[in-house]
Amino acid sequence: MADFSDDDTPRFLGRRIAPGLKIVAITIVSIVLMMVDNAHDSLSTVRGVLAVALEPVQMAAEIPGDAADYLKNYFDRDDLVHENEQLSQKLLLLQSRLQKLAALKAENERIRALLASASAIDRNVLIARILSVSPDPYRQYVKLNKGSVDGVFVGQTLIDAHGIMGQVTDVTPLTSRAILISDPNTGIPVQVNRTGLQTIAQGTGHTGALTLPFLPNNADIEVGDLLISSGLGGRYPPNYPVARVTRVVHRPGEEFLDVTAEPTANLNHGREVLLVWNNHGDGAQPASDHPGQSGKPAAPDDGSANDAKAP
Amino acid sequence: MIVNQHVGGLLIAASLAVALIITLLPMPTPVSAAQPAFYTMTVLFWTANQPQRFGPIAAWCAGLAIDVLYGTPFSEHGLAMAVAAYMVVKGRELLWSFPLIQQSLLMLPVFAIYEFVLFWIDGVAGLDVNPWGRWLPVFTSAVLWPIWAFFLERIAELEVG
Repeated sequence: MADFSDDDTPRFLGRRIAPGLKIVAITIVSIVLMMVDNAHDSLSTVRGVLAVALEPVQMAAEIPGDAADYLKNYFDRDDLVHENEQLSQKLLLLQSRLQKLAALKAENERIRALLASASAIDRNVLIARILSVSPDPYRQYVKLNKGSVDGVFVGQTLIDAHGIMGQVTDVTPLTSRAILISDPNTGIPVQVNRTGLQTIAQGTGHTGALTLPFLPNNADIEVGDLLISSGLGGRYPPNYPVARVTRVVHRPGEEFLDVTAEPTANLNHGREVLLVWNNHGDGAQPASDHPGQSGKPAAPDDGSANDAKAP
Repeated sequence: MIVNQHVGGLLIAASLAVALIITLLPMPTPVSAAQPAFYTMTVLFWTANQPQRFGPIAAWCAGLAIDVLYGTPFSEHGLAMAVAAYMVVKGRELLWSFPLIQQSLLMLPVFAIYEFVLFWIDGVAGLDVNPWGRWLPVFTSAVLWPIWAFFLERIAELEVG
């Protein structure tokens, strides 16, 4: 790290560069770097190299949490057995549903092929593990254990079993960072599943709440409405669940409704997430993409809903 | 104070790494909002203690580590760290003329300037700035400064003998 001195020769007052000048130079360099970083991608290599160098520090910071998890698992054998039973039952249930789904999927794809639609159901996914959540309490980020080596790219969507979680903002060779939809600086285009009404959901900084600030007072929205991603803007794939409306407040005299929704995804717990390849995405996706895309019907025996690339 | 003795670069690097790990430890949100900036304290301690070896430029480099790990605009924390280090270098004589306990009060504006630079850059960059909660670490860092500095001083003394 920074274990080097500013100047190797011993220095006394009057025999060194004026410190005032130095701090002005640092300030100018910093401002230029920040502007470059903001406008271009050119510093991502530097960031990547530094991130790899800092990887041991990051790993060390995760040891206490991981050790606590491990010890907990070690001592809670009964819990594990219980959990295992529950998971087996759930798996059975899901598999029975999946059988129906496979038939529906094949049918849907045949119909879509008839319509010559380019939209495909199957998406290539990659399972990633959350390494850490944002150490900065005012930003909702997670760090993932998959990086550009695994084909992760900036803008990739992050989902869990229940809905959209966020999107990748930074990629280093071994890790990546994703912003969650609950971050106050992000928004996601959604539509109300019941009516098709389009709007934008914004983060609030709390994992349990999104806000829908742009709905006019006469909009048709109710508590319990499911919001799904609309895919507008091209950032997020369409038709994934995003949030469920928990509160609708009509304010007399105000032009907009005050609507709050709770994300369907587990933003603050759970360690495994899925990275989705948008099938109509750019060239960043891996060459060996899924056969079921671009209108071509997938093989009907392709039973699994998700083609997991990694265990 | 052991300003005239050379503390090994390895020790400085190791203490910074430990402080960085403490900073990165996952904490529940309310604690995390008030968490003292151990890394900043460590950088500023070495600036105050070893100004010949660890000046604003080294502090700037140390700040880059935070930018990389937090994903903030590149050199945002670097700049804040360098400005705070510059203040410490300038006020070093004054700082060491007081016992550690009283240094808390002198460090308060330094941590405040550090936080203000971050606050200002976040604002310019259009990021959401939490106006009140983010000043908490200024106070917790200042309060913990004597303990942390005492601790680092003992370690440095152990090495130089």
